[in-house]
Amino acid sequence: MPGISYRRDDAWRVGVLFSRTGFMAVIEDTQLRGTLLAIEEINAAGGVNGREIVPIVYDPGSEPAVFGHLAKRLMVEDQVTTIFGCYTSSSRRAVIPVVERLNGLLWYPTLYEGFEYSPNVIYTGAAPNQNSVVLCRYLLENYGRRFFFVGSDYIYPRESNRIMGDLVRRQGGEVVGETYVSLRAQRRDFQPVIRQIRAASPDVIFSTVVGDGTIYFYQAYAEAGFNPKVMPIASLTTTEAEIRAMGFDVGEGHITAASYFQTIEGGQNTGFVSRYHKRFGDDEPTNACVEAAYFQVHVFAKALESTNSLDTDILRPMVLGTEFDAPQGRISINEASNHANLWTRIGRANRRGQFDIVFRSQDAVPADPYLISAGWGFMAGAV
Amino acid sequence: MASPSSPVFGELARLDILVAVPPDEEGTFLVRELRRTRASVRSLWPLPETLPDTSDVIFCELASGLPARLPWVPGNARAALVGVMPAQFSGDFDLLRTSAVDAVLHRPLTAHAVMTCLIIAWMRFSYERRLRQRIAKLEETLRAVRLVERAKAILVAKRNLNEDDAYRFMQRQAMERRVPIAVIASAIIDSQAILG
Repeated sequence: MPGISYRRDDAWRVGVLFSRTGFMAVIEDTQLRGTLLAIEEINAAGGVNGREIVPIVYDPGSEPAVFGHLAKRLMVEDQVTTIFGCYTSSSRRAVIPVVERLNGLLWYPTLYEGFEYSPNVIYTGAAPNQNSVVLCRYLLENYGRRFFFVGSDYIYPRESNRIMGDLVRRQGGEVVGETYVSLRAQRRDFQPVIRQIRAASPDVIFSTVVGDGTIYFYQAYAEAGFNPKVMPIASLTTTEAEIRAMGFDVGEGHITAASYFQTIEGGQNTGFVSRYHKRFGDDEPTNACVEAAYFQVHVFAKALESTNSLDTDILRPMVLGTEFDAPQGRISINEASNHANLWTRIGRANRRGQFDIVFRSQDAVPADPYLISAGWGFMAGAV
Repeated sequence: MASPSSPVFGELARLDILVAVPPDEEGTFLVRELRRTRASVRSLWPLPETLPDTSDVIFCELASGLPARLPWVPGNARAALVGVMPAQFSGDFDLLRTSAVDAVLHRPLTAHAVMTCLIIAWMRFSYERRLRQRIAKLEETLRAVRLVERAKAILVAKRNLNEDDAYRFMQRQAMERRVPIAVIASAIIDSQAILG
């Protein structure tokens, strides 16, 4: 992607922070692509009110502290107010103080553990009521009540497991083991995890391992000879991108809950997938994080078209309540929480590295990041 | 010097500024300097009993009795407040505390001092307002959680629902009526209080 950092006086300049290097590059690089694809589409159609969107792209190299420093550079030196970026919760939390103090707007296109509200963040990934709640019920009904939790050792997995643990126990399930590996875990670090799983013999494994660790973990599982038909790994973060990196045969049969899968039929998704393939290659799958990174730029552009100003105090009120026909279906930005109202889906990975969708909500699910309505079980599902 | 296109100037240009200082040479200078930011500036003198409440920033003479003239209570300011030191100051420094100014401008006025005070006062005030907004949202959330839990307990006891069905009931009501679930919970609690 040449020439992604240049200046032009009459352009809308925005910041972009996704890691292209380090242990989070597998997924964050796809979010960068989703962001750039949307920007290219908007510019090809004449920009926003006749002005191009110009991204200033930095690579934080998977280091949370660097995200904070680069957010500062974007807002102080490059003088942008809008930043698209962040995958891990640690990186989001490094950027928030900067955008809050300097009144920027961070667009965060990643599912996360919820329980947060910043007036300076638009959250476009799923909150727990939009994925964990339904996933938990599905696993209990289809695989059994004994859960084993494996996570990377940082905020998202620990918080996410606390929520999942509550859900599991409330529905009569049991957590028979919980273990964490370093974010920088290597292949060998998963051997002790495999031994613990073998000893505990759970019905289902809930994984919050992210980054390269995901690939090592699923591969270690396959090498151990476990069977996904009876003891699958379920996840919120294992997308088409990770499945492709670990191997289609390794990923087959495992379960992921997400708002979006590439296999969604019709609507905006057909065109989105074909444009993505055309731009980045036929063997590059889309995924939920790409899709959120993609649609949030379009939501931004739609609001900017009305305000004709990047000033956060003017732009934010226009963003709230905006509806958009995203590849996942019609979404909107919830005015009460700054989070997106998103679809809930559950997919089972097939031999082609894609997900067969086994559950879909009837409509977009209102974001409830604090789980105030303890919002689980209320949705009637349809497949 | 930041370029005229830098974010701070864009922000200042949108401000509504009230200047409540004597309209002498320095008062005129102050108004002129502030207008250079392209903000909308109006002046007002003598000090009214209560200052109007419609500006983003108020430059006000630090006169004794100022706290009583402010249209808000301390801790709930609705504009950034810059105190302008009188040439003959009484020495009542407690005024800075009781009127809770965001910045102080000293005479004789200079162009740089005016800009500095405007920017510092506005940035501090608007950041504080964002933080207050965040706190308000968190408090609202805590209240909502408490209401929903109490309403759930009532539904479980009176309607013979289990916990999940109680949540589901409130969720459905909230979605049908398009109101936050806390509103439904609150209505359940109120009707329980009346009906017993």
